[in-house]
Amino acid sequence: MALSKDVYKEFEDVVGAENISDDPAIKDAYRSPDLTVILPGSTEEVAAVIKLCNKHKIPYKAQSTGWMLFAPTYDFIFMDLRRMNRIIEINEKNMYAVVEPYVISAELMAELFKRGMICNVKGSGSTCTALAMSGHGHMGMTTSTGDRNDLATEWVTDEGEIVRLGTLGASDEWFCGDGPGPSLRGVYRGGGVITRQATKVYHWPGPSEYPLEGLSPRYTLSKKPSEMNMMVRYFSFPSIGKLIEAELKIGESEIAFELMGFCPSMVSSNITTSNEEDFETLEQFTREVQGPGFMVIIVGNFDEDFAYKKKVLAQIIKETDGESLKAVEDPDAEATLLFQCTRVCASIRETFRAGGMFSSMMVQGQRYDNHVRWLEEAAVLKRELIEKGLVIADDGQQFGWGEEGGHLGHTEIFCRYNPYDEKSSKAVQEWLAKVGKRALDGCFAVPSMGILPVDVIGKRASNYHIWFGKLKEAFDPNGVGENTGFSYVGADTSGVHTSIYQKPEKASPKK
Amino acid sequence: MAGNESLVKIFGAKNVLDDAETLEEYSGDFSFVSPVRPRCVVKPKNADEVQKLVKWANDKRTPLVPVSSGSPHFRGDTVPGIGGAVVVDLSGMKKIIRVDRAHRVAMVEPGVTFAELIPAVEKEGLRLNMPLLPRKSKTVIGSMLEREPVVMPKYHWDISDPLACVEVVFGTGDMFRTGQAAGPGTIEEQWAAGGAQKTPYGPGPAAWYRLIQGAQGTMGIVTWASLRCEILPKLEEPFLVGSAELDRLLELVHWLVRMRLVNECFVLNDSNLAAIMARKFPGEYQDIKDTLPPWVLFFNLAGYDYFPEDRVSSQIKGVSDITKRIGLEADKAVGGVSAVEMLKMVKRPSPEPYWKLGGKGACHDIFFITTYDKLEGQIGVMNDVANKSGYPALDMGVYLQPIVQGSNCHCEFNLFYDPQDPVELERVKELSAEAVNCLMATGAFFSRPYDRSARMIINRDAAYVDALNRVKTILDPNHVMNPGKLCF
Amino acid sequence: MAIEDYRGDVEMCCRCSACKHIPLQMVKGVEHSYACPSIARYNFHAYSGGGRLLIAKEMLNSGFKYTDKLLDIVYNCQMCGGCDTSCKYAMDMEVLEPIYEFRIRCVETGHTNPALDKVINSLRKQGTMVPGAKGKRAAWAQGMGIKDATKEKVDVYYHVGCLTSYDKDYQKLARATAKILKKAGVDFGIGYENESCCGGRAFQMGYKDDFLKQAKKNMDMLKKAGVKTLVTGCADGYQAFKVLYDKYNLKGDLEVLHITEYLARLIKEGKLKLNKKVNLTVTYHDPCYLGRLGEPWIHWQGKKIPGYKFVFDPPKVYRRGTYGVYEPPREVLKSVPGVKLFEMDRIKEYAWCCGAGGGVNESNPEFAKWTATERIEEAESTGAEAIVTACPWCEKNFNQAIKESGSDLKVYDIVEIVEKAI
Ligand SMILES: Cc1cc2nc3c(=O)[nH]c(=O)nc-3n(C[C@H](O)[C@H](O)[C@H](O)COP(=O)(O)OP(=O)(O)OC[C@H]3O[C@@H](n4cnc5c(N)ncnc54)[C@H](O)[C@@H]3O)c2cc1C
Ligand code: SF4
Ligand code: SF4
Repeated sequence: MALSKDVYKEFEDVVGAENISDDPAIKDAYRSPDLTVILPGSTEEVAAVIKLCNKHKIPYKAQSTGWMLFAPTYDFIFMDLRRMNRIIEINEKNMYAVVEPYVISAELMAELFKRGMICNVKGSGSTCTALAMSGHGHMGMTTSTGDRNDLATEWVTDEGEIVRLGTLGASDEWFCGDGPGPSLRGVYRGGGVITRQATKVYHWPGPSEYPLEGLSPRYTLSKKPSEMNMMVRYFSFPSIGKLIEAELKIGESEIAFELMGFCPSMVSSNITTSNEEDFETLEQFTREVQGPGFMVIIVGNFDEDFAYKKKVLAQIIKETDGESLKAVEDPDAEATLLFQCTRVCASIRETFRAGGMFSSMMVQGQRYDNHVRWLEEAAVLKRELIEKGLVIADDGQQFGWGEEGGHLGHTEIFCRYNPYDEKSSKAVQEWLAKVGKRALDGCFAVPSMGILPVDVIGKRASNYHIWFGKLKEAFDPNGVGENTGFSYVGADTSGVHTSIYQKPEKASPKK
Repeated sequence: MAGNESLVKIFGAKNVLDDAETLEEYSGDFSFVSPVRPRCVVKPKNADEVQKLVKWANDKRTPLVPVSSGSPHFRGDTVPGIGGAVVVDLSGMKKIIRVDRAHRVAMVEPGVTFAELIPAVEKEGLRLNMPLLPRKSKTVIGSMLEREPVVMPKYHWDISDPLACVEVVFGTGDMFRTGQAAGPGTIEEQWAAGGAQKTPYGPGPAAWYRLIQGAQGTMGIVTWASLRCEILPKLEEPFLVGSAELDRLLELVHWLVRMRLVNECFVLNDSNLAAIMARKFPGEYQDIKDTLPPWVLFFNLAGYDYFPEDRVSSQIKGVSDITKRIGLEADKAVGGVSAVEMLKMVKRPSPEPYWKLGGKGACHDIFFITTYDKLEGQIGVMNDVANKSGYPALDMGVYLQPIVQGSNCHCEFNLFYDPQDPVELERVKELSAEAVNCLMATGAFFSRPYDRSARMIINRDAAYVDALNRVKTILDPNHVMNPGKLCF
Repeated sequence: MAIEDYRGDVEMCCRCSACKHIPLQMVKGVEHSYACPSIARYNFHAYSGGGRLLIAKEMLNSGFKYTDKLLDIVYNCQMCGGCDTSCKYAMDMEVLEPIYEFRIRCVETGHTNPALDKVINSLRKQGTMVPGAKGKRAAWAQGMGIKDATKEKVDVYYHVGCLTSYDKDYQKLARATAKILKKAGVDFGIGYENESCCGGRAFQMGYKDDFLKQAKKNMDMLKKAGVKTLVTGCADGYQAFKVLYDKYNLKGDLEVLHITEYLARLIKEGKLKLNKKVNLTVTYHDPCYLGRLGEPWIHWQGKKIPGYKFVFDPPKVYRRGTYGVYEPPREVLKSVPGVKLFEMDRIKEYAWCCGAGGGVNESNPEFAKWTATERIEEAESTGAEAIVTACPWCEKNFNQAIKESGSDLKVYDIVEIVEKAI
């Protein structure tokens, strides 16, 4: 269904003819037959587009960098924010950076490196938006995480009102996002569009630019990590219990720049440049490791600091019977993991390269030890799929990482598979549903988004779905917006939300 | 008790107070808001009673003013905004529900004070990230809900820290749990499954706790909260750095916090440091103050379970690299104040009398959030305003607390005055109104506006107020929760 | 191969958008992080490498819908392969090959671009891609005493290329090359009027049949002349002879060298001495078809192993841009006394296209210029006085952009610098 000519013209007047299209070829690239794609270039244009959506009761959806990877479902106006790609400010003294939605993490990180700083990079990798609001990242030990990094924020509500949180509203500055009074950081993830946001940044004692050599796909470092006061190791443990003990001790002793619970397959994916090499390497790793493991990156602020951290790490590993994976001690492999994981440049090697798709069950913000029993069950179920030849035969394990010095964390398990193989896809969906249900029944956690209907989850979690529905109503009376579906504990995908909020009926596109 | 029978039914007669003396006590505080007598004061013992009360209040359209800390109060937020209100005094809900070493988290009811929680968590090897010497009657929940700054910026990742999850009775009377506590399962079932109530955000895309924090009781009543705790150090090495040059000190603060070298870390001016250390006023106070440079930075290094000596000595190396570069020196004592003594002080609530009251009997605080680069100017503005009004700027206390890992700084001016002296009182009252205006013009961000200026501060941005009101309409549609506060 | 043969590849696209940027590891800031001129200029996802694959996937499933917009997308692509390299930093899948095939399908079904049709007509009529080419192909060589390789045996056959032959402004490159080769004592010749367009640019434009015709014609001529080694100064020509002819099994054992490779060899062997000082700070632009797309063709045939992994029997070895010609031009520049080389942010396998590729200079000169202007700004940011390239198409496109932008940057082909040094 296309917009009427007149209505199309109204949108066109906002963004200009070259930034709007409903041509089938354009729609194909956005993977939906029912879209008009709009490329706003400024906050004012975003607001004007949303106001028009309200006027005509046309639903809309926005995209920053599109890592949600789901095709838009019922949406009609699709705002691709990629023209909003400026770094507004990097404030070194006060340790924040302000970005628009299409600044990607790779860009912000490169700018920050030059200033001795870094930011949280979402696990999806550094082509994902650098906006603070969306997502958790492997460096969370140092760079905090998800919803805890955003400062002042410019938010266009589902009605097209521009709300400026914190200092932005008060004095046009970016350093604080909370108040006056209650913090609207509590609600903005529920809808509307973030057009600019300040994100907290952190100290980086490493080089201002990695001394990279070689050619794609195999870059190397001309310096050994140890020459830059950095070290990467992978440790395996005789049991999950020992692994957790080590993880907690490392967190509490504040020695790890990153503690990433990679399973061996994720390490091998990161350092290899093809599927064949990947699976060979994985076989070797699988033979070498004694049990579950994690990767640790140690970064010294200065020589004594580096020495101290290494000493503590060695002691903890000794106490917990950890064993270092020899292949990672090789300075080349170590260097590759270092630049890959600190710049988060190879996430798709871990996830998509092998089969074309991965599907995940995760809990964000909660430490590994909270749910390990549940995820071990999930891993057993996953191994059944592996045995049946339905998903990629990696080692089948769950993984997780520490955040904020081990106060918080992230846990996850995923299956990689071929999405065009119906049997595989179905098996994975069933696995997710089973694991998700177990999360609820075992009182472990709110399972990751979109897997169970939101009211099934909501009833078990303080009826949050009802309260969330009220928030939606209050900020989106015409029902044109959508739950943004950010990658959050229990955030929901659009499909699920329509089932309880009945969006399509309420906001059926104007004929 | 006339008219309060239904409340007596809920709480029992001895927990519903409407005698003149009590009502007088709850009708005002040290702030400059006009006193309003409540209709009565109730003292709930548990969440169930709170929920019944809120439902009753909705039925009767009666305002509720929640208060958890004991007196004295300073900010006007617990003074009824309109007549006929019921004050909900939660100070009797004193359970420390859980202290969990492995997860580094504690869970408490609203009446638990710092003085009560500190020993309980210490027993488990934990400690709290505290505000600076809170008064003895200050409750942990009260402090967290106000987003009070804490003294260890390194562990202050988000402005909401150390608050984790809450159980709250919304203004509608509905009970809700936030973050990881929301479910699935009861709290006990979550514990049994290996979980803890630690992750603040969610469930879903909203971060409900952020709407309750900073709300001054206008959204609902918190019946317990969990909070993150830190590990007790095995070894600590505190230092003081004195200087007349604030910008240099702030440069040092930036690097100490940025490199996460230090735990406790804040700057006081001579008046405030003396006020904290002195036990006798004015003699001892003046003696200490005379020995001090205008500004003193306090910071503390710590070693934990593994090779604490090594850690502290490596950190000393790191710190001295920075101090050398900046041209400052860290000492064990500055003037008459020893770093070790100071460390002892900041680990506990203030001794009695409360340090802000010891000198003159009353204190009015003006505080806001700012950035390092603006501080010098803002302090200058405040000094001018004070001096012009006849309040000697040199008597004023200043407290600078880096927060949110150094991306912000809490700046606080403490105006000590004699409440019995009407001239002085009037002066402080006028000067503070003037100061807020002048400071706002310099970019001072009054994120927690209290008192008479609250409305003026918050109403400056209509779109923001509109958004807050939409939230309010959901959580407290009948405006029973602390009406008259903020923009509600 | 046809677009249908790449179904597996287009289905692998995970929409990660790596193809919009240079390999992430190499991103040096918020500037110069983009790899794909097309998406950078037109912004709709459809214009990116991944977007093109998504369109192909959809149309493979539900039929080709040739709207004007589709053709706008198809022809506003420089076929520069930036997307391909960036994707293959992490993925095992083809990106540029299906993009080629899609365009070829458009041409085969008559959905062509009028400007490109014009160029191809000129090729068909005159054997050259240079529109309005007049006179003799080797007019530039008059009086230079260069051997006719079709008449006498030479060690090295110098393929001049269309632009260098016909465009008066660029004939200087042919003359410089001849001068250098002579100076080095190389026994070389040219094809005079028997030289014909390599067909490479026709292939980029989607006219596969015309390309094949040219390729056969050229190889017949070269075989007849007994040529063993071919040297060319045109990056497109180089890639056509070396990679495309090989891809279509036409190359035989012809040794194909770009002039920069050959010069580097001569310098190394001591046959070419660069002893005149050229005081110039330069930056080097890697032409796409010499750099990442100049990588040798890999003959592979195999079948996907049934199951959930995207792997093949025998294993597929991908062309990832690793083995393009990157060092020889740099070696040559470094051997010129007085020349200082400053690198740009986007170099080698992730260089930004000059804008002229894929026929865009003909079909959409404004876009070609826009792309060149981006590169010129990047070159200027290095502080260099001149941008040096190794392909006449790049040089021409840069010059045009500079003419309009008023930049002070000088533009040279590498042979012009070498010429100054002998
Ligand atoms: C391989 C892979 C690994 C991943 N790993 C992690 C991980 O480790 N941790 C993690 O947290 N997530 C992870 N994710 C998920 C991904 O990081 C998140 O979905 C992230 O939030 C995507 O950001 P985006 O801007 O690209 O999203 P988009 O796809 O652009 O948008 C996601 C949602 O947010 C809305 N939205 C986008 N931009 C805005 C805006 N400016 N204002 C308002 N709403 C907006 C959209 O409407 C959509 O509903 C992973 C995803 C993949 C594919
Ligand atoms: S073509 Fe490759 S890089 Fe581009 S979106 Fe698809 S998978 Fe990602
Ligand atoms: S070939 Fe070049 S212009 Fe075309 S899509 Fe790929 S990167 Fe973009």
